[in-house]
Amino acid sequence: MSRLDNLQRSMFDLMVAPDAAPFLADPQGWGQARGLETADQGALAARATRLAVYRDLVQFALTDPVEDCFPITQALLEAEGAWKGCLAAFLDSRTVQSPYYRDVAPAFLAWLVDSGWGAERWPYLLPLAHWEHLELELLRHPDGPPAEGLTPEPAPDATLVAEVTLRNLTYPCHVQEAGVEDPIPPDGPSHLLAWRDREGSFRSLELSPTASALLARWMAGDPLGPAAEALGVDRGEALRLGRDLYAKGALAGFRSA
Amino acid sequence: MSFTGVGVGLRRPHLEAVAALSASPVPFWEFAPENVIGQGGRKARLTREILQRDPVLTHGLSLSIGGPDDWDPEQIRDLKAFLRELEAPWHSEHLCWTSLGGATTHELLPVPFTKEGVARCVARSRELQDRLELPFLLENISWYAELGEPEMDERAFLTEVLEGADVGWLLDINNLYVNSVNHGFDAKAWLTGMPLHRVAQMHIAGHDWFEEDRLIIDTHGAPVIDPVVELMQWVLPRIQEATGKAVPVLLERDNAIPELEELLAERARLQVAYDAALADSEVAG
Repeated sequence: MSRLDNLQRSMFDLMVAPDAAPFLADPQGWGQARGLETADQGALAARATRLAVYRDLVQFALTDPVEDCFPITQALLEAEGAWKGCLAAFLDSRTVQSPYYRDVAPAFLAWLVDSGWGAERWPYLLPLAHWEHLELELLRHPDGPPAEGLTPEPAPDATLVAEVTLRNLTYPCHVQEAGVEDPIPPDGPSHLLAWRDREGSFRSLELSPTASALLARWMAGDPLGPAAEALGVDRGEALRLGRDLYAKGALAGFRSA
Repeated sequence: MSFTGVGVGLRRPHLEAVAALSASPVPFWEFAPENVIGQGGRKARLTREILQRDPVLTHGLSLSIGGPDDWDPEQIRDLKAFLRELEAPWHSEHLCWTSLGGATTHELLPVPFTKEGVARCVARSRELQDRLELPFLLENISWYAELGEPEMDERAFLTEVLEGADVGWLLDINNLYVNSVNHGFDAKAWLTGMPLHRVAQMHIAGHDWFEEDRLIIDTHGAPVIDPVVELMQWVLPRIQEATGKAVPVLLERDNAIPELEELLAERARLQVAYDAALADSEVAG
């Protein structure tokens, strides 16, 4: 490894270290352990306090978008005294890889999924974080191509064309009822529809299990009428749901058979 | 299109207000392509409307010029397409590193002031300029500590990179001021003898003093202070003499972002200072 690479690796280690204390206690030893040249070890020691400022800046840069996106998750873990440890483990994982700053919050969610951090102790942590992140994800989701040949009026033999951001989700708990004041979501399955409407705002709707199943069939391409009949849903009621979702901007429209 | 005068960094909180205007309230905006590439939704749509209507310069945040990691070909391809669509006259980046081993810090870290550091920055700047097929500018950053034992000072480092890579210089006058206070040197003396003929654009911004660290941090979170304005006025005519141009100056604000009207009022104040500096130069000339 070149001297330059070694210096940068040593600095990076400091930037994401869970604790700056070992570095500040013995910066020369920190550099020695990483194979730095003697002069560079001395330079670390001479500028240790200011190099630690960089650590503060990096840690802020990487945690600020997480705290912005996940205030309820933060409240939940802060109440348990676990938020700082969670962030430290996240930073130590070095999983923020995208050059785009907007991808820091998604990287945190992906890390929660991949690492399973806290899942055993707080089984509602991941669903809650997923729900919190969904708004950001949908608001910034790339636009879909303009849909052509669609009608706003649903018909039994038509199929549904969803807005590109429409998500039909089932959570094991009522994530939508959690808040910063009361961050633990009530137990039990929750069926939620979420999307970005035509004005660009985040919208969500709580569905019955049957309506959620109907949406799943419609989004898979089943014609509106037969899908409703298969689930024992009144055809007129189903078409009203389709009309309502179109009016709310969840659907691009309907394609006639 | 020629860029001159004092522009403003386009920021998300102002998108609605700016898009609602019938014409640009500033000579030009500056915008980070990373903030719109690959994004959809209302904010992205408003941004694109503004970028199509108004003169815009671009400034990058994540190319890690001094870092060891290869660039993602998709990132460069998307950036190049974006700059081409925008008809950007140049693209600028910071002379720093941000990423290592595939992981990123999203912070502007100092490249060691060494021959090896120069060589890497020269090679990567040249490569980037070739791949983007666009003039490329490097910005002098605020740095709080040298990384490792330096083999040269910042002036020599910056000059060797600019000359070696044959790229332009985005002179950030606030960064220079911040460094001059934090490291105790005279900013005007620092500028004397530097390759001002390479300056194509300037940045100006505010900063904050952190008593605990006994350090100015380049927060872009406060109005520009008078000594920085005075430094801008001092260097502008010298750059004009070296380049034959009144280079554009960009007001940056990234934290504690005020209402648009307040930011535009600050821009107007800086424009008066900009005009005065160049008018004085004409009289003196």
